[in-house]
Amino acid sequence: MLGKEKLKQIANQVLALSSADQMEVLLSVGGHMLTRFANNEIHQNMAWQDLGVSVRVIIDNKIGVASTNSFEPEALKKVVAKAIELAHVQEPDPDFVSLPKPSKGSDISETCVFATESELASGVATIIAKAKQAGLVGSGAYANEVSELVVANSLGLFSYHKGASCNLSTIVLGKTSSGFAADVGKTTQDIDAPKIATIAVTKTLESKDPEAGEPGAYDVILEPQAVSELMAFFQFYGPNARMYHEQASCLSGKMGEKVFGENVTIFDDPFHELVFPMPFDYEGYPKKKLTIIEKGILKNVCYDSYHANKFHADNTGHALPAPNTMGPIPLHLYLAPGDKTRDELIAGIKKGILVTRLWYVRVLNPKALNITGMTRDGTFLIENGKVTKPLKNMRFNQSIPEALNNVVSIENKLTQLASFEGELIGLAPTVHIKNWHFSSATLF
Amino acid sequence: MLKRAEHILSLIPSSVTYADVRIVEQESEEIATKDGVVEALTSSTSSGYNVRILKDGVWGFSASYDMSKEGVDTTIKKALAICEASLPHKSKDVQLDNTKPVVGSYKTPIVEDPFAVSIEEKLKILLEADKAQRVSPNIAISQASYHANREKKYFVATNGSRIDQEIIWTGAGIETSAVEGAEFQNRSYPNSFRGQNQTRGFELVRELELAKHAPRVGQEAVDLLTADLCPSGEFDLILDGNQLALQIHESCGHAVELDRVLGYEASYAGTSFLTPEKLFDFQYGSPIVNLTADATIPGGLGTFGFDDEGVPAQRTYLVKKGKFEDYITSRDTIGKLHEINPRYNKPSNGTVRASSWSRLPMIRMTNINLEPGGEEGTGKAWTLDSLIKDTEYGILMSTNRSWSIDDKRYNFQFGTEIGWEIKNGKKGRMLKNPTYQGITPSFWNSCDAICGRNEWTVWGTPNCGKGQPSQVMYTGHGASPARFRKVKIGVVNW
Repeated sequence: MLGKEKLKQIANQVLALSSADQMEVLLSVGGHMLTRFANNEIHQNMAWQDLGVSVRVIIDNKIGVASTNSFEPEALKKVVAKAIELAHVQEPDPDFVSLPKPSKGSDISETCVFATESELASGVATIIAKAKQAGLVGSGAYANEVSELVVANSLGLFSYHKGASCNLSTIVLGKTSSGFAADVGKTTQDIDAPKIATIAVTKTLESKDPEAGEPGAYDVILEPQAVSELMAFFQFYGPNARMYHEQASCLSGKMGEKVFGENVTIFDDPFHELVFPMPFDYEGYPKKKLTIIEKGILKNVCYDSYHANKFHADNTGHALPAPNTMGPIPLHLYLAPGDKTRDELIAGIKKGILVTRLWYVRVLNPKALNITGMTRDGTFLIENGKVTKPLKNMRFNQSIPEALNNVVSIENKLTQLASFEGELIGLAPTVHIKNWHFSSATLF
Repeated sequence: MLKRAEHILSLIPSSVTYADVRIVEQESEEIATKDGVVEALTSSTSSGYNVRILKDGVWGFSASYDMSKEGVDTTIKKALAICEASLPHKSKDVQLDNTKPVVGSYKTPIVEDPFAVSIEEKLKILLEADKAQRVSPNIAISQASYHANREKKYFVATNGSRIDQEIIWTGAGIETSAVEGAEFQNRSYPNSFRGQNQTRGFELVRELELAKHAPRVGQEAVDLLTADLCPSGEFDLILDGNQLALQIHESCGHAVELDRVLGYEASYAGTSFLTPEKLFDFQYGSPIVNLTADATIPGGLGTFGFDDEGVPAQRTYLVKKGKFEDYITSRDTIGKLHEINPRYNKPSNGTVRASSWSRLPMIRMTNINLEPGGEEGTGKAWTLDSLIKDTEYGILMSTNRSWSIDDKRYNFQFGTEIGWEIKNGKKGRMLKNPTYQGITPSFWNSCDAICGRNEWTVWGTPNCGKGQPSQVMYTGHGASPARFRKVKIGVVNW
């Protein structure tokens, strides 16, 4: 890690290389380790370190972006020259007004410690031992990352953040079943390997010899990982100012209207005590807690400086790195907890299905926000308020807005989650949803 | 750079069983237009190296951008420390096959270097194509995109291999979105999700003639707004080549990855129903279904000279006359397959690649293809027209819109941008929101007609995800339109 002062010096060095109308530099430094295991042994074990510099220049409303992975003076000169060259041949963007000016945000001071390869191997060994003991096969990954991020621009903005994360996830396999569990934290001390080993092994044993479920509409209990995999699609396609104004979002034109059930409140909170905090966005603009949905009513969508200027709205601090063709995205979105325990949620169901995880979820229609996907790693039948037997995995076809209008009740606590298939939802409760559409079963 | 790689290799202690070093330099350029505005114009470079060490039967891998003496020293020490940490947690020693060392060089043959074409010309092509889509006020979004990539790889290994490669690949496409009230429809050309991509130069972009096709694409998006919903039922299905390419990718390509089959991807993307005892006996598809992995096809996005373990590119039958014949393999998985199924006795078939210098090389699809009709064991060479004429009732679907498959690669569901009803041998009304669902072996066993080589294209899939940490790889799929009997169609009424 290079530290705030050294990175500030590099950022200033880059900014001094151009006389463009405006210029932004984004610096990143990262050290990573990942220990992967399968068939009850470590099979992939790796470490890598990288850094990055990305430069955005604006000349007469013409924007060029270039990036490289070296802080050597020659490399910095080249990357700035390339961004300028691109800006000169670019067409002007009439909707670009300005990069963000400096503004007061929150500083977050985090303790960032690199894990050792032995610490990661030891966590993995705990899971393997538990799986072996039960006659099962453990697989998974234990990852550690420490990173620094700087955003600076020619208007005087400078933002620095350093963060660390650890993430241990496992899928334990039996002959006819599997079980998933994961834990996340800032250091290896935060990771409870014995606990997740027990959860995954128990799930695998409980889901042994599953029966085929009948397709149809069911009450479902979605556990936190499944809720995360559902909400990740709302996160990208829902409160995104770009899609909202293009009439491409399910929320388009509905500001202030009731869009979901009254028991649904959705926040984006980069300072929540359980998330990996991020004090500013990728333009260096300060982040803050944003209410997106309050008791079912659409309150806000997310803006970066470009879309805020274009649509005459306030910047909410949701920029992604330039060039961003996706639009502003809330990276700390979560469904607010309700008032029931997990057991109470299950007890309230006459006949339904408990889903541990969703898998391979894809959007059929981005505006209607219809999705399809499979269940995975533990699917169970609920009868008369009790989990009665395991089911083979099932395919669902479901509208997210319909699901968020069919929420019966929500668990009273949030679980921290690992980003598994690229989804960025870090917090979720267990949720009871009625009328969830399963369209077919698979063979296992 | 090869000398530099050799120098790094020379610093690894000779006590290791095996080691290799890869230096990779990547360069890319990307342009995206939207509604007549250039919203992305970027250039990026990334370079670094990795050392992969096999010691005491376990792997250690470390990578860095830092090529200084201290940087290299740290990287090697880290890889050795990782071997030490893994050692107590091995069940068996990693065994490499006996692939012979290779000294070689490869460069993608191209006509026109995409990086040498002026940005102004690229912008002109894309902005014209963007504008030409706007044939109606119902068109809400018009987009055009182009990207080019150059990857230089330098590989040396303690077995004596010494290889340098330069892979160039280019892609371009357009996409129109039409909106009317709650209705939202897309059309793309020549394919969705980043267009067509091949290991070719700028000649690909010129051949695509984006602006020429843009008005049709725009009009189809508008027409879809008022088209009838795809009917539900069990009907004959004709898949256009660009959709069939993704069907091959998901239900064959991933299913034959030997690392998945052996459980090494269980913690992420899952395993596979194509377990080793099925080799040589399992009826994967109908007798006209022949699937190959071929890293030698000119222009294929999965085409290269050597894989990232130094194994030469090759062509392998995965499914021959419907029977399951082979996997895509690596040097360190093949020995395990020999143990499980002694009837299998081949070395690695050269499919290992890493997405960058900072990633572990792993089994990846090369070009996974459905061999065209009219060739050995593939039945008659149909044309799309003759296939339609031969179909009493069915649905023709084109251009992927959504894709999903379970973690053993059995149950899949695909949606396409557009469909047409076929009635009494004639292509009829346009259909919106077409979807189909199936179970992989049943689906491929229902294949009864495949179009010939004249309609066969190697489609690029540049966004294949696999592994932890995630690696996005570029792969290819040769396909021509084909027919499948009695498929579950119209699985959702949206």
